Amino acid sequence: MEETGKDHLQIKLKVNGKEQELMVRPNETLLELVRNRLGLTGTKQSCDMEVCGACTVLLDGKPVSSCTTLAFEARDREITTIEGLASSVRLHPIQKAFLEKGGFQCGFCTPGMILTAKALLEENPNPTEEEIREYMHGNLCRCTGYEMIVESVLAAAAKMRGDEECRKGN
Amino acid sequence: MPERKLKTVNQSIGRIEGLEKLLGKARYAGDLTLPDMVYGKILRSPFPSARVLQIDTKKAEEYPGVIAVLTRSDFGDIDPYFGPAFRDRPILAMDRVRYVGDPVAAVGAVDEATAEEALELIDVDYEELPAVHTIEDALKPDAFVLHENLRPAGQFSDLASISLGNKTNIAHHFHYERGEVEKAFKKADHVFEHTFSTPPVHHCNLEPHVAIAQWQGDELTVWSACQNPFAVRAELASIFGMPLSKIRLIAPYLGGGNGAKAYAKVEPVTAALARKAGRPVKIALSMEEAFKTISRHGTKYRLKTGVKKNGEIVARECEIYWDKGAYGDIGIRLVRKSGYTTPGPYRVPNLRIDSYAVYTNKVPAGALRGYGVAQTTWAVEQHMDIIAKELGIDPIELRLKNLLNKEEEFAPGDPVDCDFKGGLKTLREAIDWKRERGENRGKGIACFLKATIAPSISQAIVRVHPDGSATLLTSTTEMGQGGKTVLSQIAAEELGIPFDRITVAESDTSRTPYDLATVSSRSTTLMGLAVQKAAQDAKKQLIEMASEILKMKPDHLEIRDSRICEKGSTTEGISYSAVIRDQLLGGEVVGVGTFKTERDVQVPLGAPTPFWEVAFAGAEVEVDRETGEVKLLRYITAPDVGKVMNPLLARGQSDGSVLFGIGQTLSEEMIYEDGQLLNPNLVDYSIPRFSDGPKKLETIFIENEDGAGPYGAKGMGEGDLIPVAAAIGNALYDAVGVRIHDLPITSEKVLKALRGKGR
Repeated sequence: MEETGKDHLQIKLKVNGKEQELMVRPNETLLELVRNRLGLTGTKQSCDMEVCGACTVLLDGKPVSSCTTLAFEARDREITTIEGLASSVRLHPIQKAFLEKGGFQCGFCTPGMILTAKALLEENPNPTEEEIREYMHGNLCRCTGYEMIVESVLAAAAKMRGDEECRKGN
Repeated sequence: MPERKLKTVNQSIGRIEGLEKLLGKARYAGDLTLPDMVYGKILRSPFPSARVLQIDTKKAEEYPGVIAVLTRSDFGDIDPYFGPAFRDRPILAMDRVRYVGDPVAAVGAVDEATAEEALELIDVDYEELPAVHTIEDALKPDAFVLHENLRPAGQFSDLASISLGNKTNIAHHFHYERGEVEKAFKKADHVFEHTFSTPPVHHCNLEPHVAIAQWQGDELTVWSACQNPFAVRAELASIFGMPLSKIRLIAPYLGGGNGAKAYAKVEPVTAALARKAGRPVKIALSMEEAFKTISRHGTKYRLKTGVKKNGEIVARECEIYWDKGAYGDIGIRLVRKSGYTTPGPYRVPNLRIDSYAVYTNKVPAGALRGYGVAQTTWAVEQHMDIIAKELGIDPIELRLKNLLNKEEEFAPGDPVDCDFKGGLKTLREAIDWKRERGENRGKGIACFLKATIAPSISQAIVRVHPDGSATLLTSTTEMGQGGKTVLSQIAAEELGIPFDRITVAESDTSRTPYDLATVSSRSTTLMGLAVQKAAQDAKKQLIEMASEILKMKPDHLEIRDSRICEKGSTTEGISYSAVIRDQLLGGEVVGVGTFKTERDVQVPLGAPTPFWEVAFAGAEVEVDRETGEVKLLRYITAPDVGKVMNPLLARGQSDGSVLFGIGQTLSEEMIYEDGQLLNPNLVDYSIPRFSDGPKKLETIFIENEDGAGPYGAKGMGEGDLIPVAAAIGNALYDAVGVRIHDLPITSEKVLKALRGKGR
């Protein structure tokens, strides 16, 4: 990506477990850093105003809208993108559940959905349907009608609680 | 249909592209980059109607980081107009702008931020012209005319004979008549007349439009989030005066389509800017720009029906105006096709239809899931309920009296292929129609029929490799509907090979053969038939080759479990792999299949529909009299799908389609003021969230295996959306006696109506 000689700031941050040292523009968004600078295109740009969740990444484990977060705000912190969830081609239980339960269609909202679900299940390993809908309220989907996403998250929760099965059968 | 145990079809197999999408590795057009790529941004008109006097781009051209600036002055050697029906839409404004958002100039720069900044440096001199903001304004005798000359595009045979408006904003008028309407109205026992309307709405795909164009010598490659790459290829060929063979259109995964991405949108300007820049260009629209690129037609619909005392329809008059916005897009076909089916699935001996496309200075309207039938169903199904109420007949009984029977002709040469009465009775039972409602509660039903595009053609290729695995080449695009997966299932089933040994290629006009479009719920059925034919062609070749090896005549051989065996014997036979290796060495078997619809001039649209998309809907609501809020307690959707190809994916499409319809029913509306679109974003235009669905959603797939497609399949995907508004509107009336004629059904409207009734 060509730069046109504006003032840059040097920041350090951990991305998907790996330390990175980068020069960022003062007004660069975390979304631009992830997609353009790091080439991690799983995180998507959509509404541009923090209401759709397609740009969700985890910042120190908490879901944030990367399109309205400055890259500079992530300095000395840790971010997780969808690419950081699975080990090479082995799916995380949440991803497995989404596949089995049909929790995605066009896939554009899906990275954001999965990361938000991850944060939810870390906070609350046994959520009710209501709790899932409320926690994930900031993630929009135009394809699924949400029912099968809820079912996917419930199935993911079950997989993650049923520890032994997860570690063995994956 | 012979009994056959299906192994792959009708199984809930996970998406073929599932891994990629879940891992975040799936590449959408916006994720792609090319070496030397330049980022494009578009300068748009701030006026709904104006002459463009002068465009001064000098400062923008000199801005550091700007590679190229594009305006009408770069179009001397090309045809700068495009459009699938009329070539009425310029790549960039030529003499005029016709809506707020109409593209005027484009800048390509080293990054998006620089391109945006350079846009501010372009000086445009506009002279405002009168604007027409509504259908009524546009139809006035002295109304300002948006398009003085209309050129037919000549791309599709069904639009070959469209008539051209002359100094009017009526872009197209579809007329159909049978019987003697006036006479029948006079003889009717009762005549009812009502008007309904719907506002423009937007698709709100999470992925806005995006394209990348690259010129290499005299060849052009375009990656685009596009539902019909071949149609776009044809447009580009016309614009740049190039042979089709020199243009390559690639459609990666789409982040939602829903009709927004059918037919050229952002590809022409991207290709033109790339040509000027001498470097590849990517233009990725923002969500706001997507709102200002395409929309769904607003409508005004006057319906008049004459009935006998017993409710039997004797005559129907349909007069519908479609708000076309500034350009025709594919809306010209829509106005014909949805005009044609607007009377509903009923027996109407005396019928008159007048369906008008009317230009206004607003965002152009085109295809949106349902293709006009959602708007007509909103009117027709409420009209039917009002008639039922006036006659003192149960709404379902009224319909049962008038619904067409299977194989009865909807119009000459166009018979229906489903059991409407059976479907409605199934719904009636499922929704427990006869039970007492409860206070402030009501139930409503709706049904409809929708034709798929005809004429139409789909082609497919199956390549069987030397190890017996296979690749399917199909230009059906994957926009979440699961087309690539279902077609792979059909290929696997037909070839008798396991699903995990099939690969399906990306849609690429230089690789995958012709498909009309991924629209109109047609891909499982019509591309599915092409895939079956391709597989059958491959099997025929395998048998012929096997006959050489086994020294038996081909008609003594058959295929069992992907082995070629002697008919009627229990011998093991020979594998595909052995046959191919023996006869073709390292080569492969290539099977080709084409599906083509039949023409018939007696059919009003020129060809009968290969299948009808039909669904039945039932809603149960509870109304809060304090706030006017309509709560969806229960919603039942019953699409008549013929045969479910993949239960998991089918349910997903059905669920999503219903909620899309709920959004359009209860909240979605593009709001204009003096031509300015006030809510072109997801904050001010609200689409359904996690908590906005019905409390209980039930799906009933009607599978009578009576479709024209593989294994008796028909199309689905739009049917669950189409009747939502009418079912809810009818339920609302059943609950509290309030009838809304103009979508959306907001709490404010309901409350106002309740207060008006003095409750």
